[in-house]
Amino acid sequence: MRLRHLNLVVAAALTTAVIFSGAGVRAQTPEATPAPDPVEFQLNPDVSGEVEFWHFWASPVRNNAIKRVIAICKQKLPNINVTDVVKPFGDIWTANLAAVAAGSGMPDVIVEDRPKLPQRAADGITQNLQPLIDRDGVSGDAFWPFTWEQTLYEGNSYGIPFETDVRVLFYNRTLFTQAGLDPNDPPSTWEELEAAADALDKQNDDGTFARIAFHPLYGNGGYSVWGFTNGAFPLEGGELPNVNTAEYAETLDWVQTWNERYGGWQAVQDFRATFGALPNDAFMSGKVAMIMDVAGYSSQLNFYRPSITLDDGTSTRIDWGVALLPYSEAPSSYSGGFALSIPTGADGTEAGWEFIKCAAGHEAQSSWARDTYSIPTIISAVYDPLLMVDPNWVFFTQAMESSYSGGPFFAAYANWQEQIDQRIEAVWKGEITAEQALQEAQQGIEETANQ
Amino acid sequence: MSVAAERQAKTAKARSGITIAGRNMSGNAVREGILGWLFASPWIIGFIVFTLIPMVFSFYTSFTQYNLLTAPKWVGFENYETIFQDRYFWLSLQNTFWLVFFKVPIVMITAISIALLLNYDLPGERLFRTIIYLPNVLAGAAAIFLWQWILAPNGLFNNFLGIFGIRGPSWFTDADWTKPGLIVMGMWWIGGNIIIYLAALKGIPTTLYEAAAIDGAVGWSKIRYITLPLLSPAIFFQVITSIIGTFQIFATVYIITNTAGGSGTNPALGGPEGSLMFYVLYIYNRAFGRIGQGGLQMGYASALAWILFAIILVITMIQLYLSKRWVHYDS
Repeated sequence: MRLRHLNLVVAAALTTAVIFSGAGVRAQTPEATPAPDPVEFQLNPDVSGEVEFWHFWASPVRNNAIKRVIAICKQKLPNINVTDVVKPFGDIWTANLAAVAAGSGMPDVIVEDRPKLPQRAADGITQNLQPLIDRDGVSGDAFWPFTWEQTLYEGNSYGIPFETDVRVLFYNRTLFTQAGLDPNDPPSTWEELEAAADALDKQNDDGTFARIAFHPLYGNGGYSVWGFTNGAFPLEGGELPNVNTAEYAETLDWVQTWNERYGGWQAVQDFRATFGALPNDAFMSGKVAMIMDVAGYSSQLNFYRPSITLDDGTSTRIDWGVALLPYSEAPSSYSGGFALSIPTGADGTEAGWEFIKCAAGHEAQSSWARDTYSIPTIISAVYDPLLMVDPNWVFFTQAMESSYSGGPFFAAYANWQEQIDQRIEAVWKGEITAEQALQEAQQGIEETANQ
Repeated sequence: MSVAAERQAKTAKARSGITIAGRNMSGNAVREGILGWLFASPWIIGFIVFTLIPMVFSFYTSFTQYNLLTAPKWVGFENYETIFQDRYFWLSLQNTFWLVFFKVPIVMITAISIALLLNYDLPGERLFRTIIYLPNVLAGAAAIFLWQWILAPNGLFNNFLGIFGIRGPSWFTDADWTKPGLIVMGMWWIGGNIIIYLAALKGIPTTLYEAAAIDGAVGWSKIRYITLPLLSPAIFFQVITSIIGTFQIFATVYIITNTAGGSGTNPALGGPEGSLMFYVLYIYNRAFGRIGQGGLQMGYASALAWILFAIILVITMIQLYLSKRWVHYDS
């Protein structure tokens, strides 16, 4: 679903209030934005019990943030003790599944990958929360509509949305200045991106790259997100995902031009292998001047405050900026995020449910957003006054307007994207054309979905 | 029956009075029998509960569609029929056989060579033995991350090769080099194999070498005609366990495929061009719905597991049969 099609009060209000110093980038603080009243859900402080809460937020920034959310809820629900358990991302859901299948050892509350929630509901891994939602009058209207809809399976909600995101372009203003580019004028189209890259790329004597300007496959996202910026929306307007389109093929061809620019796919992968974890990643190390990442990445940048060495040998802190993803067709982005769910068979349902209502409410989500710069799923928290003084925050909320949730869940073949993934390396290596890959992928999607 | 034997049998019967399976047993023997079973029972119960019953259940589920949480739905041979047309089944089988074919002999030859060197009573032998075994006591996952760094395109290993003017390959990002990368990495854990060979070498009587020396045997002849034949039970044990272990490779490739590719590749598809899609990784990815139609595919994964069981069983049976020709248990 394209978020821009939704009637978003937030986005409209912000768009009118924001004043830009560059091409839609460095926004000024809006004045007198009409903030909606904070939405909190009715809690029952008499409920008592132990709640085991599984999440995967282990980084210093996010771990502190979730601890603060738990502390807020402890104040509101004094008889409930929440114990948070950090599990590795990915393994958390396998561990939960094993526990649900065994009938014991599952948490009372778990963070679910929201776009995959309907599949978990279909598999019977998470509990239907609709009876509790109806009983306590929790309104889905308080949330960004796409976040609420992603929790639905056969009309019932299986999780309460907690945090969403939006992918934007982070660019290194320090490197822009060094390369003689205007740091207040980041590229807004694919053409401008290429022009900026010509100035930012830096090659070693042996022809390898010491620094590259940008690569669409580095960062947080992938070719499908860039497809959105070229009007390729496979799940729009049909029963089956439609990947065999000119827009999609153009996108892949465009990604391929970046592979070629940097010496081919193998060289691109080799360059990627030189990045490390935070704070030595592609952007913070200064090896890549522009990168796609979620709004929350700015909290990591604020936390680590990375330094780079300039061409003249001096060391300086990175001055960075944010911009909409450069586009070919129209501005677009992708918003994912998570939900809080109760696994099937969990015995602390009532206490777990109270904690979820608290954590998803205005105060807790505002706190989470202040720490992590993730976009709250509850709309009122977007207007948090402490966040609204930051121009970057205003920009992120505005970027949500053109973001896209990936489309409806395609139950007949949840992994349909793998049909392209299986062929994509052959495209990058020049063994088959993008058209050929997409044609075969389409055939594969249709065959598997109709099995 | 001779007269003496008849007398003996009568005496035995008179002593016990209990007949089990046509055999007379004394009270002591019965008690010993019961005690024996009691001592073995923890293992037997464990085997039945944690191995036999799950195996029987997985055999049943291999004929079903099963998502762990709802009752399995019988589909007959459908899973098996689909498997043989499944591109990733053949790819994972091909990758796995490649690794077994190359890694097992390379590791074996290297381990025996190092064990032979360590068997000379040279100064510092104990220290080397400890150093070589040390990696086996380190946590596996940490070592795998470490090796990803060592084998990075600009990592320690390639820098080392660079000293000799060799431009090292892109180990875990180039489909042609991922599996050789695993073999290089596997050498890190070779200490366990070396210890077993070394123990077997220490068990070979020195008198045999002395006798051979008197007969004029030197160097390679001693190894060929004394060491290797007498080492053959250890080699046989290592061959069997290494082949089974290599068929079951999982943790290493699970970590590499999940961390090495970045957003350019799908972690469920086995790394660069599927070159790290090994059989057990494929079973896991299918079981947990990371690949294929979606949702949990435990039935399909069970069918895959039984095919692997059959393959390993056949190869082990062949090994056992062939072992009669080259394994010497008498010294």
